[in-house]
Amino acid sequence: MKCFLRSLTLLVGLFFYASSHATDALPTLTTPDDVGPVVEQPIEFPHFRHAGDAKDGGMQINCMYCHTYARRSMVAGIPPIQKCIGCHQSIESVRDKPRIQKLFEYWDAKKPIPWKKVHDLPDFVRFNHERHIQRFYFQQDRPYQEVCGYCHGNVKAMTVAQRQKPITMGWCASCHQKDHPVSANSSETGHGPNDCFTCHK
Amino acid sequence: MTENDFSRRDFLKVLGWGGTAVALSGCGNTSIQDGQETVTSYVTLPSYVTPSISNYFNSTCAQCDAGCNIMGRVREGRVLKAEGNPNSPINRGRMCGLGLSGVQAHYNPDRVREPLLRTGDKGETITWDKALGLINEKLNGTKGTEIAFVTGGMSGHVQALLGNYMDELGSKNHFSYEAISPAVLRAANKKAYGESMPRYRIDKARVVVSFGADFLGAWVSPVHFSQQYAQFRKGSRPEGRGVLVQIEPKMTLTGANADRWIAVRPGTEGVLALGIINALGKAGLSIPADIAAVSHEYTTERTSKETDVSAEQIEKLAALLKERTPSLVLAGGAAEGYAHGSQNAAAIALLNRVLGNVGKTLEASASVPFPQIAPTVGSRSSLIALNDGLAAGKYKVVFSYGVNPVFSAPASMKFKDNFAKADFKVAFAQYMDETALAADLILPLDSAMEDWATVVPEYMAAPEGAGSNAYAQMSFRQPMMEKVFPDTRGVGDILLALLKQRTADKYKEFEDFYSYLRSAVLKNKVALGGKAGDDDEVFWNETLSKGIVPLKGIAGSVSAKASAAGLKLPVPTDADPSYPLRLIPAVSASMRDGRNANEPWLQESPDPLTTIVWDSWVEINPKTAAKLGIVEGDIVEVTSKSGSIKTQAYLFPGIHPDAVSVPVGYGHEAMGRYARGVGANVFGMLDSVFDKETGELALNETSVKISKTGQRVIIVKEEGPVGGSQAGKPKIAVQVSADKVDLSKEV
Ligand code: SF4
Repeated sequence: MKCFLRSLTLLVGLFFYASSHATDALPTLTTPDDVGPVVEQPIEFPHFRHAGDAKDGGMQINCMYCHTYARRSMVAGIPPIQKCIGCHQSIESVRDKPRIQKLFEYWDAKKPIPWKKVHDLPDFVRFNHERHIQRFYFQQDRPYQEVCGYCHGNVKAMTVAQRQKPITMGWCASCHQKDHPVSANSSETGHGPNDCFTCHK
Repeated sequence: MTENDFSRRDFLKVLGWGGTAVALSGCGNTSIQDGQETVTSYVTLPSYVTPSISNYFNSTCAQCDAGCNIMGRVREGRVLKAEGNPNSPINRGRMCGLGLSGVQAHYNPDRVREPLLRTGDKGETITWDKALGLINEKLNGTKGTEIAFVTGGMSGHVQALLGNYMDELGSKNHFSYEAISPAVLRAANKKAYGESMPRYRIDKARVVVSFGADFLGAWVSPVHFSQQYAQFRKGSRPEGRGVLVQIEPKMTLTGANADRWIAVRPGTEGVLALGIINALGKAGLSIPADIAAVSHEYTTERTSKETDVSAEQIEKLAALLKERTPSLVLAGGAAEGYAHGSQNAAAIALLNRVLGNVGKTLEASASVPFPQIAPTVGSRSSLIALNDGLAAGKYKVVFSYGVNPVFSAPASMKFKDNFAKADFKVAFAQYMDETALAADLILPLDSAMEDWATVVPEYMAAPEGAGSNAYAQMSFRQPMMEKVFPDTRGVGDILLALLKQRTADKYKEFEDFYSYLRSAVLKNKVALGGKAGDDDEVFWNETLSKGIVPLKGIAGSVSAKASAAGLKLPVPTDADPSYPLRLIPAVSASMRDGRNANEPWLQESPDPLTTIVWDSWVEINPKTAAKLGIVEGDIVEVTSKSGSIKTQAYLFPGIHPDAVSVPVGYGHEAMGRYARGVGANVFGMLDSVFDKETGELALNETSVKISKTGQRVIIVKEEGPVGGSQAGKPKIAVQVSADKVDLSKEV
C-alpha cells in the first residue's frame, strides 16, 4: 500500500509537472539519466543488423516484420522462434555463428526463449501499441523508424534493446499535450487523450 | 517440425512450457522495471493467435447437469473466463455463477496431480502404468457381477465407452447417482404427461404456479428457465406480463422473485393442489369426473386447515388460474422430498390437466437418435441399490467417477462402512474428496477445461421455429489449454486404456480418446449435419468450432393423461414433540450438492437470500426463534434421530414456522482448502426415509429439534445490520403479508 501511494504521488506529481510545462518546454527526448539499465538477454540479438541502415551494414527490415502485432494488438509481440527460423534456415552464411547456433538449439528443443522485458510498465498502466501505430504510421504516414523511435529510441543502433526514454506518466503526457496533425495532409491538429481511464483501467 | 506443420495440440504443448512470467513487485522510483520479468516468446504460433487478443473456444459447462454451451476466453494459452455461447438454445449466451466458477475447478491448487495408491493408512504416488496395471491385476479373476461402477448422470461418448467397458467386464452394475436429483419429478411427469422431461414453456404462460421448483436458482436447467422467465415478465409480450406464484415452505431464489410467495405447511403441497382444483370447480371450471371424485373432498376449509394457507388465498389462486390461461404448474424438490413425494407431484400434475396446459405450456421434448450417447440420469435410488450390494459383500472391485457418495449419503445408510467392504476401490477424482479418501487407488482427472467429451443434456431445450419438436443436440467439450498439471488424464483416455487391457484389438486404432471421438463423429457425419462428400478435416473443425451439433431427434409426445386414480395423500399428523420441526435441506444456486465446494468464488458469493458467506446456517422463522429464545448468530445444535450438526442461527421470515432449513453442500471433511471445515454437512443427519414409489431419498422427511449451545457469533454476511438485527421485527423482510396482496390488477 505504501508503495502504491508512493508511486501514485509520484505519478500525480509528474503529471502536474508535465502538464504545466508540456506545450512550451518538452523534456528532451533522451537524457543520459533516462536510459534504462543494460539488460542481459539469453541471446544478444543484434537489432542493428536487422533494422539498421544499409550504409551501416543493416538490412533495413521494417520493425513490424518481426514485431508484427504492434499494428493490431496492445502488445508489439516478441516474434515466435518460428519467425526467426523462417529466414535463418536459408541463410547458410551465418549458420555457424554462436548466436544463431543458440537460436537453433532452442528451436530444435522446441523451447521458447526466455527474453527479459526491457519496457515493463506497471500493471496499472495499459499502453496500446495499435493505437499509436495506426495513428502515426498508417494515418500520418510517418516513417516507421521515427514512429517506433518516439518511445523506443534509436533501435537501429542497438544490439539487444535498451530503454531510451523515461516512459513515465509525465513523459507520456508531454506528448499527449502536443498538437499533432490529424492526418498526413491535414492542417488540422489534435492531441492525444488525457483521460485517466484511457491508460488506467 | 517445419514452419507450417503444427496443429493446435502442438501449440498447446508449446504453451505448456512457456508463459512463465515471474511477477516481481516493483516499487522503486521508476515506474518501469527493466529486465525483471520474462517475456517468453512462442516457439510457433498459429495464425489465429494474436498476443493480447483473446480467442474463444466453444465448449460445454461441466458444473452442473444442465449442459449449458459456453465459450472459453483464451489468451496467450491460458483460459481466463467462460462466457455463454449465444447460439445455444439452452443458455442463449448466458451463464450462472456456478458455471462461471468453473475456471476455479480448472486452476484449483487442490487437484490431485498423480495417481495415488493406499497402503494401510498411507498413500504413495505411483505411475500411471503401475496404476492401470494394478487395476488389470485386480480385475483378473474377478467376476463381472462382482464389479460395480458408480457415476453421476452421464451422456455422450464417454458414456458409450464406459458402456463398452462394462460389457467387456461382463458387469451390469453401473449405478448412476445424483445427490440432488429430480427423480421423483421424472417419474411423475412420465405418468402424467407420458414424458419424463417435457419442455416447460414459462415464456408462454400467463401465470406460473410453482410448488417449490426453484427454476431461477437450482432446478433442472436454471439458466434456460431464467431466460424464459425474462420473457415471461415482459409487459410487451402478447400475453402481457406473467404472474408468478411460488408455494413452498422455505423461500428460494424463485420464491423471492415471485409476485406471491405462499408458505405452505411442509409436505401438504399435494393437498393444496387438490384444494385449488376443488376451488376451480366451484368457480365454474369443468373438472374431469375422475379428478373431481378425488378433489371434491378437499374443500377450501379442509385444505386451508391442512396446509396453513388461508381460504381467501386458495380462492384467489383459483380465480387467478381460471382467469389467466395458459398457465403452467410446476412441481419441484420442495414438494417431492417426502415419503408421499410422488403423490404430491401427481396431484400437482393434475392441475396442468385441469387447466388445459398440456401441449401448450408443457410441450413434447425430443431425444437423440443414438441411444448409446443419450443421457443416463442419476438418482438416489441407485445409490441405495449399490449400498445394499456393498453391505452384502457382493462387490469386490468398485469404481467411482464424478460422485461423492461418502459425503452425500445419509449417515444412517452407513455407506462409508459398506464401501470399505469392497476389496479394491478406484476413484477417478479431481480432488481428494471424501470418497477418494476412502478409495484404494486414486486416478487424477483432467479438468473439464482440459478434457474431451460430448454432452447430451437431459432437459433438451430447443430453438424457436420449425422443426423444434424434433430438435435434439449434442455438445462438445474440448480442451481450452494445455494441462495445468501434466500428469492428470482425461476420463475417456483412462477408460480407453482400461478397455485396451481387456480387448486390445478392437481399440488398437485409437491412440487416445481424442482419436476415438473424432472417428466416432466422422463415421456419423451425415447424421450430425454434414454431407457424405464433406472433407473429414473440414467437417471436424467446423463442428468443433461451433460446439453444438443439432440433430434430427426423435420427437416425443405429451398427453394429458394425468389421472387421479390411486391418488392418496396422507393427512398431516401432529409433529413428534421430541422433534417438533421439519428440516428442509436447501439446495442453493451456487453450492448445489457440494461437488464444487472447493471453488472459493462459490463460498464467497453471498447466498441470494441470507447473504451469508463461507459457512452454513440454519434458517429459523423469527416466531419460532422467539419461542426458543434464539437470536441471530446463536450457535445451535440441530438434532435429528440420525445425527446432529452445529451451526449459526439466522432468523428468516421466509420460512414456515414449523420448518427450519440448512443448505446442503457444506461441511466437507476433505476435498481441499476451501471446502474442508467450512460449515456443517446436513446430508449426514438425514433420516433414511424414501419416496414410496420411486425409492428416492425423501430429503424433507427429517424432523429435528433445536437447542442452544450457549455460543454466539457475528454472522459473516453481506447485508447490513438492518436485515440482521431487525429480522425479528415486522416491516423489514415482509412488508405486506402474502394474503393482503391486492391481486385485482394481476387477474
Ligand atoms: S446452469 Fe450454470 S452450472 Fe449448470 S451448466 Fe448452465 S452455466 Fe453451467
